[in-house]
Amino acid sequence: MSEQRPFRRPQPADWWARPPYLAYTLRELTGVAVALYGAILLAGLICLWLGPDAYAAYRQALASPWSLAVHGLLLAAVVWHAVTWFEILPKTMPRIILGGKALPQPAMTAVTTAFAAVCSIALIAFVVWWGRP
Amino acid sequence: MKPERSIAPLFWLLFGAGGMLAALFGPALVILTGIMAPQGWGLPADFADYRRALAFTQHPLGKLVLLGVIALFFWHGAERIFLTLKDMRAGNLTVLRLLTYGVAALLSAATLALLLLIGF
Repeated sequence: MSEQRPFRRPQPADWWARPPYLAYTLRELTGVAVALYGAILLAGLICLWLGPDAYAAYRQALASPWSLAVHGLLLAAVVWHAVTWFEILPKTMPRIILGGKALPQPAMTAVTTAFAAVCSIALIAFVVWWGRP
Repeated sequence: MKPERSIAPLFWLLFGAGGMLAALFGPALVILTGIMAPQGWGLPADFADYRRALAFTQHPLGKLVLLGVIALFFWHGAERIFLTLKDMRAGNLTVLRLLTYGVAALLSAATLALLLLIGF
C-alpha cells in the first residue's frame, strides 16, 4: 500500500474575516438579521397571546431608542441582503434569451433590484393608506 | 443502483422562499413594524394597539402573513448560519444542524401553535 500525502493548502483559522472572503461573511451575516427580525415578530406574537398588559410592554419596548437603533441596523442589513440577493439571482437561474441574445446579468440585477424597491415602497404606501385615521 | 436521495433541496427551497420574501418586502416590513408604527411616524398612534393587532392576527390572511414571514425568515437565517458555520468548521455537523435547522423548526412550530392559540 502506498502512503499518500495529499497537499493541503494552509488556511488561517480566521480566513472568513479576511478579504476576499469577508464580503461573503458579511453577506451571510444578513441571515442573522433576517432571523432576528423574525424573532422580534415572534416575541410580539407571544405578548399578544399573553394579553393586553404584556402586549403594552412589548409596544413600549419597541418604542424605545434602543429598539429604534436595533431596527436601523436591521434595516441596513436587510437592504444589503436585498442588494446582494439580486446580484446572485442571475447566477442561480437559467439564462433569459431575448432576440437570440442572453440577457446580460447586470441588466437582470438592475431590473430585479428596482422591482424589489417598488415592492417595498408599494407595501409601505398600502399600509399607510390602510391605516389612515 | 438507486441514486441517494437528499433532503437538502427542501431546506434550499425554504431558504430561497425566505430570502426572496426578505429581499422584496423585508425593508418595508422593518420600516413599518420596527420604526413607523412604534415611533408613530406616518401611522396613527393606535395603528398597532392590542385591539387592532389582535384583529389582524385573528384574521386567516393575517395568520398566513405572520406564519409565512416569521417561519420563512427563520429558515432563511438558519440555512445561511448553518452553511457559514460549516465553512468555518465551527463544530460537529449534527450539532450545527440542530442549532440552526432544529431551532428554525422549533420556532416555526411555536409560531403555528401561537397563531392557533390566539384563535380566529
